Amino acid sequence: MLGFLEKVADYTKEVVSAAKYLVDGLGVTFDHMRRRPVTVQYPYEKLIPSERYRGRIHYEFDKCIACEVCVRVCPINLPVVDWVMNKETKKKELRNYSIDFGACIFCGNCVEYCPTNCLSMTEEYELAAFDRHSLNYDNVALGRLPTSVTSDPSVRSLRELAYLPEGIIDPHELNANQKRAGKLPSQIINELKAEKSQEEDNNHSSNMVSNKSNPTN
Amino acid sequence: MNSGIDLEMSFTQGVQNLGLSQELAHLLWIPLPMLLVLVSAVIGVLVTVWLERKISAAAQQRIGPEYAGALGILQPMADGLKLLVKEDIIPARADSVLFTVGPILVLVPVILSWLIVPFGQNLLISNVGIGIFLWIALSSIQPIGLLMSGYSSNNKYSLLGGLRAAAQSISYEIPLALAVLAIVMMSNSLSTVDIVEQQNTAGFLSWNIWRQPVGFIIFWICALAECERLPFDLPEAEEELVAGYQTEYAGMKFALFYLAGYINLVLSALLVSVLYLGGWGFPISIDWFSSLIGLSIDNPLVQIIAASIGIVMTILKAYLLVFLAILLRWTTPRVRIDQLLDLGWKFLLPISLVNLLVTASLKLAFPMTFGG
Amino acid sequence: MNIAYSTELICFLILSSVIVSGSLAVVLLENIVYSAFILGGVFMAVAGLYLLLNASFVAAAQILVYVGAVNVLILFAIMLVNNKEKLKPIEGLKTRKLISGGVCGGLLILLLRVSITTKWNLPGPSSIGEEATERIGEHLFTDYLLPFELASILLLMAMIGAIVLARRDVLISIDDINDLKNQKSLSDKKIPLLSEKSLK
Repeated sequence: MLGFLEKVADYTKEVVSAAKYLVDGLGVTFDHMRRRPVTVQYPYEKLIPSERYRGRIHYEFDKCIACEVCVRVCPINLPVVDWVMNKETKKKELRNYSIDFGACIFCGNCVEYCPTNCLSMTEEYELAAFDRHSLNYDNVALGRLPTSVTSDPSVRSLRELAYLPEGIIDPHELNANQKRAGKLPSQIINELKAEKSQEEDNNHSSNMVSNKSNPTN
Repeated sequence: MNSGIDLEMSFTQGVQNLGLSQELAHLLWIPLPMLLVLVSAVIGVLVTVWLERKISAAAQQRIGPEYAGALGILQPMADGLKLLVKEDIIPARADSVLFTVGPILVLVPVILSWLIVPFGQNLLISNVGIGIFLWIALSSIQPIGLLMSGYSSNNKYSLLGGLRAAAQSISYEIPLALAVLAIVMMSNSLSTVDIVEQQNTAGFLSWNIWRQPVGFIIFWICALAECERLPFDLPEAEEELVAGYQTEYAGMKFALFYLAGYINLVLSALLVSVLYLGGWGFPISIDWFSSLIGLSIDNPLVQIIAASIGIVMTILKAYLLVFLAILLRWTTPRVRIDQLLDLGWKFLLPISLVNLLVTASLKLAFPMTFGG
Repeated sequence: MNIAYSTELICFLILSSVIVSGSLAVVLLENIVYSAFILGGVFMAVAGLYLLLNASFVAAAQILVYVGAVNVLILFAIMLVNNKEKLKPIEGLKTRKLISGGVCGGLLILLLRVSITTKWNLPGPSSIGEEATERIGEHLFTDYLLPFELASILLLMAMIGAIVLARRDVLISIDDINDLKNQKSLSDKKIPLLSEKSLK
């Protein structure tokens, strides 16, 4: 009998705790209702891509030396480098260069390894097309520069979460001059430089001091 | 308790004054409240769909429908129109007769159940003596429609969904009926009007929720299960069954399922407010309030105000419960089928039996407070 | 003839024609699923007849029990078995059909005779309408208490019987249990409901 009652008591405890967790969960859901929507109304509002965004690849025909490093580092040997050997000058003559963005995974290896920096990543990501073959960009298409989100007058550019000031998660009502939380990479570099130089100074002076204090050495 | 406004009486008398017989006047009266309730049920569904989308969006920090009308209020209308003009597809290998009858059989009992929902003393289609029992009986027809559409679609997901829906519906009807039985025992009547009146003796303190807290929770869980709302939406579990019994449906036939689901939700919320939250009763007794101002309760103005307050209160309470259902939808994960049946048979059924027993003994012990 | 009477008559005619044709369809249709669905329709029409007789509680109970429980169970049973299985042709089906048709026809003629010879318009007690629910309850707990309880015991027995039939491992002797324990199969984890040990 006692065992049965204990069982009932345990069961009731479990039920009560389950109900408590359910109410906690409801509270969390309810709390979310007073938060502002994070929606970015896409065609009218766009997020500013970050500095290291890997979008469509930009290519400068004149810089290219047709070395084919990009082809070798590409996971699927995607770039097509069309060159002929000019026997007179004994130099490669580049005729065409193309990358098919229908197959590219935007890993950025080609950009990383290009010896002449003729490949670079842009912030363009709107690559929708009616025909997959039109995603095969030749050197002219690759050479076009995308319009930046910030300079497009028909688009309201919004900052990404990491670029918002501390404590703010809604990019809509934000002054352009409000700085992001934390430091910019350039600031960090400057600080590091300053620190380093100061350290050097200190070392220098301490050396001098030690020299002075121990003249016998 | 005052009798409130009797629209039927005044209508039939008005028509009789035009020189028609009493029977004909009655016959003319009958379709009016039906039409009114049908229209209000559909409008209630549109509002619920809009609320569901907006509240879901808010709970997920989205915006929700925005461009169709102010705040997207016309979005459900647009959805309905889209479904209306869509092609009505009957799969080639499906059983076309059963495929068509299924959704109708799901919708009709739900709409019929609106017969007993009171918005005021005389503001319901029919104050039938068996009241709430009629609703329980009618809601037991639904599983047949679900089985029919599940079977006739000639699709394994549909069949499984239909079987699940029927099993769920049958299992949760029993604790639901037992929870209702405890209420009926306290108010000595099956009629929804009597149940509400018995709760409106002392404002919100006399609501059944204080005397039947366990019954209230059981009823609400079972009502959610009957409506196939999210913690219990196994019959249409997307991840497993595509869309359950509605997989093969499109256009208006799908709209019938959709409509039945939402009408059922609104109906359940209304019935919870009728059974447990005092129905059309204002939290403070209107009689007391009008005597405070010094107006007689028979004053026509007071009566009209009381009636409109009654309608507003009923709808307000119901929509608070709908809000709770939507909140629950985004809080609780879906249960497994064995957990669902465990909850129904091993938890809710014994608890509701105990609740019934406790209510009966309390009724014998304190006949004053528990309706002797 | 006033409107109320004619409405009642029309309803009666519709309901009874639905019942008669539906019952015939239940018996005669080849497709067993159709039969089951039409059976639900027949039950609902019967409930409609009860409504016409001012017995709304009985009508609702009819829908709840017959449509909501019995018919759904029948449908469940049909849908859980494989209905594409070909049944063996029964020998002498024609003569069997003829015999059963004869029996049914005879029954029909007998009932027709009864219905014609009986005087129907007897002055019965006036219908009590909405108070019927209370009256049924009173009767069930006073003069019909014994049949009521017997019926519930019958139902309990049927339920236990169903469980016994559904669970093959109910009556297992201790030897069988030992055998099961020796096997390392999944089934040895099943605990029998009524083993000889538990009965003692």
